[in-house]
Parts: sequence; structure tokens; C-alpha cells
Amino acid sequence: MITAERKPIDEIREMIAPFKKVLALGCGSCVAECASGGEKETAMLASALRMAAKMDREDVQISEMTIDRQCVNEFVIQLDDVIDKYDAILSLGCGAGVQAVADMFPEVPVIPALNTEFMGETKGQGLWVESCLGCGDCMLYYFAGVCPLARCSKQLLNGPCGGSMNGKCEVNPEVPCAWQLIIDRLSGFGALDRLEMIYPPKDWSKKQGTGPRKIVREDQQR
Amino acid sequence: MVEKQKNTLALFYCQNAPESGEIERQALEKEYGRSIRLFPIPCSGRLEPVHLLKALEEFADAAYVITCPEGACRYFEGNQRAKKRVQMTRSIISEIGLEPERIGIKVGLKEAPKSLKELAGEIFEDISGLRPSPVRGCDQ
Repeated sequence: MITAERKPIDEIREMIAPFKKVLALGCGSCVAECASGGEKETAMLASALRMAAKMDREDVQISEMTIDRQCVNEFVIQLDDVIDKYDAILSLGCGAGVQAVADMFPEVPVIPALNTEFMGETKGQGLWVESCLGCGDCMLYYFAGVCPLARCSKQLLNGPCGGSMNGKCEVNPEVPCAWQLIIDRLSGFGALDRLEMIYPPKDWSKKQGTGPRKIVREDQQR
Repeated sequence: MVEKQKNTLALFYCQNAPESGEIERQALEKEYGRSIRLFPIPCSGRLEPVHLLKALEEFADAAYVITCPEGACRYFEGNQRAKKRVQMTRSIISEIGLEPERIGIKVGLKEAPKSLKELAGEIFEDISGLRPSPVRGCDQ
């Protein structure tokens, strides 16, 4: 999932200041799971913004709405019925959601309320951890399901570095050493020989450097 | 006899807190009249920051929660969660320039439980120094 965190309220207020009618738009997918942009968080932010506006005697109308996914046009189109009532949309979606909404409604300013952070997993209640860089060339098979690019502080493809202590990273002792995890897991199912290969430097052209990436699947198209 | 308070209080309380039944609720409403709005909840862990924020936004000068005593939550950690959510709500209202004291929590002690009435009295005491909410002030 994509994780995000709310921007400071002052920053949000500055961005919405020119507008009189604002729709705070939540997203019920990833950002709901990471408790930054779901229905609850949208209601909280809208309430706080309305209170702040009242205190400053600003004549602003802030409404709220949450759609299932801001990054999928079939859901964004639900805004068609309400969009005319607003001067701007304050999106609590990830960066992809903000842009999908902006693409569909080019005449309406779409303002991000969140800072999009990383692709990760929910490790526990209130804890999300980065686990994928979206490199475009997944090597998790070789590394027993632990990505050294996302989880090793030094991004070593031919680790370990030798600096870990008690299974923790020497760069950040709060972080488990990814290479310790890789070796433990490979040992667990007798596949340590996968580490006899020398892995060449990553081909980052599959991730970036050629503009926005896209996936085309004809079998999914009309 | 209705005791007029300067501030209006939204009071969310765990229905398992000591002496917090329907009779006590009615007695409190009679005592404080329009100065109090009571919201019994099955567990204080059900409370969300948005409940407190909406109360402040719509009618209250302060919004508090009374939990069951420490270590006596029938759902084990409801009152612990309520504490964290109160803290979170405080940080949000601080961000918009409201006094964090407008949001609060009262957790009783298992050994010396206090009634809803006693705790409500303490809360009114605690918030007596607050000016009327600037959010509500704009409605008047």
C-alpha cells in the first residue's frame, strides 16, 4: 500500500486560503489503512479547518466526502454530481490520487493535504514500514522475500556489510538488518546457494529516467 | 436546581465507569442543565478524535472523556486507547490555536473509584479558567 501523512494544518490553510468553498476529499484505500486520509481523518481535518476558519472569522465553507479510490477514474467520476459546488478540492489521497482527480477535473484546483511517503506494509497497529521501492525488476526470489534495496540502509545487493550487531543495522540500530533476515530465511529453506551469485548493479532505468512509467495490458482494455 | 456554568461541556463517558447509570445521567443533566451534554459510550476505546472535535466545533467549550478506572477496562485496553486519542485531539486543536485544555480525560482509580457526578464536578473545576470557546463565540 501507499503510505502518507497529513501536512501541517498551517500549510494546508495557506493553500486553501484563496477559496471559499472547499471539498475535503478522502480516499478509502491505502491512506485509510495508514490512517491519514480515510473517512475518519477527512472528518477530523475538515472539522479542524472549519473551526480554524470560524476563529479567524473567515467566510469559508468546508465540506467533506470520501470515495473508495481517488486513483481510479471509475470512482473519481462520482465527483461529477457535486464538483460544481466547490472552488477547490482538498485531496486526502496519495500523490496518485491527487493527480487522478486533477486530471479528471482540469478546471478545479486540487490541493494535496497529505505528504505521500512510501510503499510499505502495516507491521502492527499504528506502524507502517517501507518495503518496496517499485524498482520495476523484482529480485525478491533471490533474497528470500526481503528486499535489500528497500530494507538495507546501504541498499547492498551483495551483502551483508558485516556491520550489523545482534541482527540490527549499524546505520540505525532500530532497524533489523535486512541481510541478516535474508540469510536466516534462505538458510531456513536450504537455499543459501542463491547468494553465491554476484548481483550486478541495479538497472535503475526500469524505475526512472524515462519519464513516468506505465503498464499497458491489452487483455484488460476495451 | 440547575447550576449555571460559564462553559459548556461535552462529556463522553464509559458506561462501565462507577455510578454512571441512567439515574446518575439524569441527575447530572438536572444539575448542570444546558451546561452539559452527556454521551454514554459502551467503552471509552470507542471514542474517536472526530467525536471530540465535532463537539468543540458545534456546541462545546470543552470536550472530555471519563473512562473506567485504570486496569478495570472490561475490554482490556479501551481506556488506554482513549488516552492516546485525547492526546492526538489535543495536538490537532493546538495546531489551529485552541487551548489543548479544552480536551481532556479523567481516568479513575480502581482502589478509590469516583462517581460520574464527582468527576464531572472536577472537570467543570478544571475548565473554569477557560474563556468561552472562540469557535462558538463566532456563532453568537
